[in-house]
Amino acid sequence: MMYKMDANVKKAIMLVTVIMMCMLPHILSKSIMTIVCSIMGYLIIAGALNVINGYSGQMCFGIAGFYCVGAYTMAILMNTFHVSFWIGIIPSGLFAAIIGALIAIPTLKMKGMFMAMITIGFSEVMRLIALNWTSVTGGTMGIKGLKAPMFFGLKTSGASRYYYIYLATVLLFLFSTDRVIHSRIGRAWMAIREDDMAAKSLGISLNLYKIINFMYGAFWAGIAGALLAPYKTYIDSAYFTLDEGFNILSMVIIGGQGTLAGPFIGVTVYQFLVEGLRFAGVWRYIACAILIIAMMWLRPQGLAGNSESVLAGKKNRSRSFIKLPEVFSLDRTFGTRRLGKANIG
Amino acid sequence: MDGYLISQIVNGLCLGLIYALIALGVAVIIGIVGFATFTQGEIVMIGAYSSYYVFLWSGNNLIYGMIASFMITWIIGMILYKVCYAKFFDSPEYISLICTIGFSMLLKNLAQIIFGAEKKPMLNIIENKIYHLGIIELSRVQLMVFITVIVMVIILSLLFTRTSWGLKLKAVSQNREAAALVGINVDKTAMIGNCIGCAIAGAAGTLIGIYYQSAYATMGATLSMKAFTSATLGGLTSVPLAALGGILIGVTENIGIAFSSASFRDIFSFGFLIIMLIFKPTGFGRKRGARA
Amino acid sequence: MNELMLEAKGVSKIFGGLTAVDQVDMKVYKGDIFGIIGPNGAGKTTFFNMCTGFYTASKGKLFFEGKDITKMSSDRIAQLGITRTFQNIKLFKYMNVLENIAVGFHINTCSNVFDAVFHTKRYKKDEEHVMQKSMEILKKLGLQDYAYMMAGKLPYGIQRKVEIARALAVNPKLILLDEPAAGMNPMETDSLMEFIRLLNKDGYTIILIEHDMKFVMNLCNNIMVLNFGKKICEGTSEVVRNDQNVKEAYFGKGLTRGIA
Repeated sequence: MMYKMDANVKKAIMLVTVIMMCMLPHILSKSIMTIVCSIMGYLIIAGALNVINGYSGQMCFGIAGFYCVGAYTMAILMNTFHVSFWIGIIPSGLFAAIIGALIAIPTLKMKGMFMAMITIGFSEVMRLIALNWTSVTGGTMGIKGLKAPMFFGLKTSGASRYYYIYLATVLLFLFSTDRVIHSRIGRAWMAIREDDMAAKSLGISLNLYKIINFMYGAFWAGIAGALLAPYKTYIDSAYFTLDEGFNILSMVIIGGQGTLAGPFIGVTVYQFLVEGLRFAGVWRYIACAILIIAMMWLRPQGLAGNSESVLAGKKNRSRSFIKLPEVFSLDRTFGTRRLGKANIG
Repeated sequence: MDGYLISQIVNGLCLGLIYALIALGVAVIIGIVGFATFTQGEIVMIGAYSSYYVFLWSGNNLIYGMIASFMITWIIGMILYKVCYAKFFDSPEYISLICTIGFSMLLKNLAQIIFGAEKKPMLNIIENKIYHLGIIELSRVQLMVFITVIVMVIILSLLFTRTSWGLKLKAVSQNREAAALVGINVDKTAMIGNCIGCAIAGAAGTLIGIYYQSAYATMGATLSMKAFTSATLGGLTSVPLAALGGILIGVTENIGIAFSSASFRDIFSFGFLIIMLIFKPTGFGRKRGARA
Repeated sequence: MNELMLEAKGVSKIFGGLTAVDQVDMKVYKGDIFGIIGPNGAGKTTFFNMCTGFYTASKGKLFFEGKDITKMSSDRIAQLGITRTFQNIKLFKYMNVLENIAVGFHINTCSNVFDAVFHTKRYKKDEEHVMQKSMEILKKLGLQDYAYMMAGKLPYGIQRKVEIARALAVNPKLILLDEPAAGMNPMETDSLMEFIRLLNKDGYTIILIEHDMKFVMNLCNNIMVLNFGKKICEGTSEVVRNDQNVKEAYFGKGLTRGIA
């Protein structure tokens, strides 16, 4: 019974949070809403990267490549083929997922740095194709004149209105990822992360599940890109540099890999640091760099991460100086709740 | 057309030698410390800057410049080791990797603040003389880069295979616990390995500064990636193969450019890497990845 | 005689110049508890790794229920009905015991990503099946109290049991246990022995590697002895106990001759 209570309380908290999130544009000024929107965008892509790196333990450094594919697919669909945003969003994600599968297949047998390098290479190749294939992608000029979509006659342009599209997508992402993670597929991913030999001995096809994992991550990264295009009304390849990819990776790791809450915390901290210190000019990047290094020293498993995970390393416990209450590892509590509820039912 | 292709191949070789020069340091660091580094490009930049200021002070004395950049990057290497590697030998490899990304961000932006955003010209450090070998034209700097790469490969190979000190480094790279058990100061040895890698990059920075006739804060960004690509092609830990990888990438890039346009340069290098890794998942080397 | 389950025909494994397993023939019948013993480095675990597809045999062939499994990958072999435990326990440390066992149900469930997102009937049926069966298995092994604990934090003996529980979740025909009693005290070993007998009665065929002679001699109805990769003896515990080669392998030539 306790678990059920717990679940209800959690549902209530979530509902309140969602309502508060819906109210945000009315409370906050437009300039802050711009930051919030960029946080929302990063949330999806950081979450997607977390699915690949955190849940199945692969080393994908080239998430920006999928981001790029999604954004350009959307922009081209809208600009050249005059497809509506609402129809174009799924093909953008699917196309990124297909590219994800294409990248996953050759990297199946690779580990560590080789995998990191091949994904970095892929990300750069995607960006360079976008930069050089002028007839389709506009080359250095990018694609201009994208319009924010209409939602049943309501305009969605501008940060405080487009925010709702972002919010809905983030919620959708969380909802579906939470469900996938706690299903047979998610368990297979985690098994591969924790011990691939044991996973194999239980009949889990490493190849298949790594590909599915990559496709799922790439799908959401593509969606994140697809959302970016009409929001900015203009895209060019400069949005998808390697540094951007590294930034996203840093956000995920600061927050904590392998937890649903991790990327959220990471993205929020990082973005508020970058945007909030805008007055400091170049110095804010130094603050970010110091934050990254300090986090690795103090809490290598990330703010929301759990120190027992393989992702935190062997001697983590002595090294994690900042102790956070268990509440922050939402993922664990959710996992327990899931299986516990089924047990009662 | 043939002459054009040959000149492109020669250009590619020269560029490849520069990649090779930085890749050497990357291979040394991954080989000994066991961690990858994304800071190498910034070390190159620091090397270039330090020699720039020494050149200003000493009136373009190449030896002084080299020594200065070597020493300063050695010190940076020590700091880098303490910040990014020393604590993380028991952690997954991505943690130190993220640390090096943070460190490279730090160096890049600090350099921009300290040295300013504009390019520092490094003109006429070496007399610009051109040597003709048949149809091949080599400038003096290119020749120097070439000689440095060859000498470095030979010295490092000898160091790792022939000296007891090199054996120590090798032992540390293969098994830290066992190395500690036989009485090697693991921490110090790994740090020196890292410093060697960094100092090579620093010296490379001087040459690259002279080659491109300028030093600027973001000069390392693409070079770093190219060097890493070269080292990956060479199997990450092998010094001669990393040099070979660098040269191959340089040549591939320029042959590719010969048939298309210069803006496709990076597509060829990364495409080459991806295709090579698909067929040989561990690069040219036989050994598996450093810690993977 | 019962039907043949696992058969090895002249299986060898060569690492570089070292022959770890040399021309081993083995026949395991349905309903057997088959023991593999031998001194350290005799190639027992290597042999296991070949049976489960982690290594590919350099020479010879392996058949499971008449099917050639020599070149199959380990996940395919698991799907055919062979599963194993590991000498150095390989649990999913960051997942709790229940989740560990739930992973074991992987090949007996079939929901995909879409089922998971939309909570379709198939997903619900799968999850219910997994929960029910996992609880059954936990009860069978007396692990109910540990269900929600992190697997990595459990005591050693319990971890071994969880690993066996996870193997059972696969619902295999053949279970390979690699040193199941290692690190257990005599009491725990006895209860493990009982448990393995029970499993055998339930219709599981079992192959195990063990160093504890008492354990093997009491439990197994057929024993194979390996030494330096070669099979030196095979038979019931009586045969093995009185075999000269086995004595020599364990105690050395001088000692046994001297006594004789």
